[in-house]
Amino acid sequence: MLRIVWAVGWADFVLKYRGSFFGYLWSLALPAMKFLVIFHVFRSFVGGEIENYPLYLMLGLIVWEYFARVTHGCIAMLRHKEGVIQKVPFPRLILIFAVGWTDTIVFFTHCLIFLVLAWMMHVSPALLSFYTPLLLLQMLLLFLGTGMLLSAYSLRFRDIEHIWSMVLQVLFWLTPIMYLYTLHSPLSRQAKDMAAGNLPSTAWGLLDTFITFQPLSILIHDTRRVVLYSQTAGVPSAVHAAIFTAFCFLVFAAGTALFRYRSTYFLQEY
Amino acid sequence: MNNELIIECKGVSKSFRHAVYPSKLLQDHLLSRKRHRRHQTIQALQDVTLHVERGEWVGIAGPNGSGKTTLLQIIAGLLPTDTGTVIQRGPMACFFGLGLGFHPERNAVENIYHHGLLHGMTPEEIKKRTKRIIDFAELWSHVDLPVKCYSTGMHMRLAFAAAVQVPAQLYLFDEVLAVGDVSFQVKCRAHFKGLRYHKKTVVMVGHSLSELRHWCDRIYHMENGSIVDIEQCTPAIPRNGKSVPSQHASHHVSPQSFEGAQRSSEQPALRA
Repeated sequence: MLRIVWAVGWADFVLKYRGSFFGYLWSLALPAMKFLVIFHVFRSFVGGEIENYPLYLMLGLIVWEYFARVTHGCIAMLRHKEGVIQKVPFPRLILIFAVGWTDTIVFFTHCLIFLVLAWMMHVSPALLSFYTPLLLLQMLLLFLGTGMLLSAYSLRFRDIEHIWSMVLQVLFWLTPIMYLYTLHSPLSRQAKDMAAGNLPSTAWGLLDTFITFQPLSILIHDTRRVVLYSQTAGVPSAVHAAIFTAFCFLVFAAGTALFRYRSTYFLQEY
Repeated sequence: MNNELIIECKGVSKSFRHAVYPSKLLQDHLLSRKRHRRHQTIQALQDVTLHVERGEWVGIAGPNGSGKTTLLQIIAGLLPTDTGTVIQRGPMACFFGLGLGFHPERNAVENIYHHGLLHGMTPEEIKKRTKRIIDFAELWSHVDLPVKCYSTGMHMRLAFAAAVQVPAQLYLFDEVLAVGDVSFQVKCRAHFKGLRYHKKTVVMVGHSLSELRHWCDRIYHMENGSIVDIEQCTPAIPRNGKSVPSQHASHHVSPQSFEGAQRSSEQPALRA
């Protein structure tokens, strides 16, 4: 099965950029442009407070892009692979894992931009830490699990793809990608002041709790601690790592079970 | 013939529930639940029992909407049953209508490669068979083009060749002889002789009773989702493994071209 996932995922990656003049460079353009725009706007707010802010931002962005790509890819996969799903019996999970592999290739190459940026800033990121493979595993389990939960119903409810796009827009701002992982940063204080009177304090409390404990925030925060701030902030504790990995595995197991169950109904839902 | 059952269907029923006001949007289901609550159930299969032994050729005949293709899709594992059990033993290959879900942007070789991978074949095996498939489909002139540039006939030839080159014990064919031009049908028949020669098991769905009687040992007649009659036939093509008729000399299929089928029981295909 791994061989099939490897081959199908790699072929999908090659096919995606075949014939295009800029080819694979297109996939680098999106995070690069996002980085430039956000950095230009936010550096005046938080740039001084966060050490190596360009790297902090870029790392957050590429993990976010990975998440957005995998979940979108899982939802769109059933539409793109309609022909083969209708005609050939094989475990549909192969196609989901192939999406994960294709986007992992893209993620690795996005990491290259991050390394170039780190080199330009004379910073040595700890990419070879013993914790890095665990982070990758957590990302894959969490992203694929979420993708499968969404994909399982994406044929029955075709607007899931659009709804998820909107959810991602909101989630992007509720994830500490460009601001500090705490609501006590100047940006959040400023936002809180601006919204004073419009939002009750309980709503701010809920928002605060959501941003702090939503899995993507924790994952991005852990990634930064390992790759950028292992010397100053220290890597996550073993207990924290074990609990979060168990949570990611739970999401993955739930996604796999639901997707496998629903996959028998895909043919009649086209 | 030994009595090993390749397919066992017992009391299989299948229904499809269709909304009277169909909507595939979550917002509709949440916001106007009453409107989308009305459904109509179509009974596609009703208590179907069917057995196929190793090496047997079984036909399924019936008018449109009688449940032939649904039954074949259930045997293939593409559709779940409401009630009843389906047991299918051994590797399987199937050909449903036009094509095998080939990607329109990929060329013939890439599509053959993917199709082979999904059937559990190794890259080496696929490479060995690719030339044979292109030869059969007569596609050397278009081999570098994406399959979206192929004519319907070319597409069908490629799909059929890829399907029959899968090393399997059981082959499922849906209306294979009803599509394609005369030359395609001649090629299909030539390949069928090869499959009979190698004592492969085949279940074929078709409208042409004469064609089914020509090939099959037994024909299940279906109407309104039920089997109404079982007809025993004497196929024109023997299954003795000694004489492969050669009236279609130009498309004669040598036993060697099915060599992969010999290893079918060793390598099971991936099941959904």
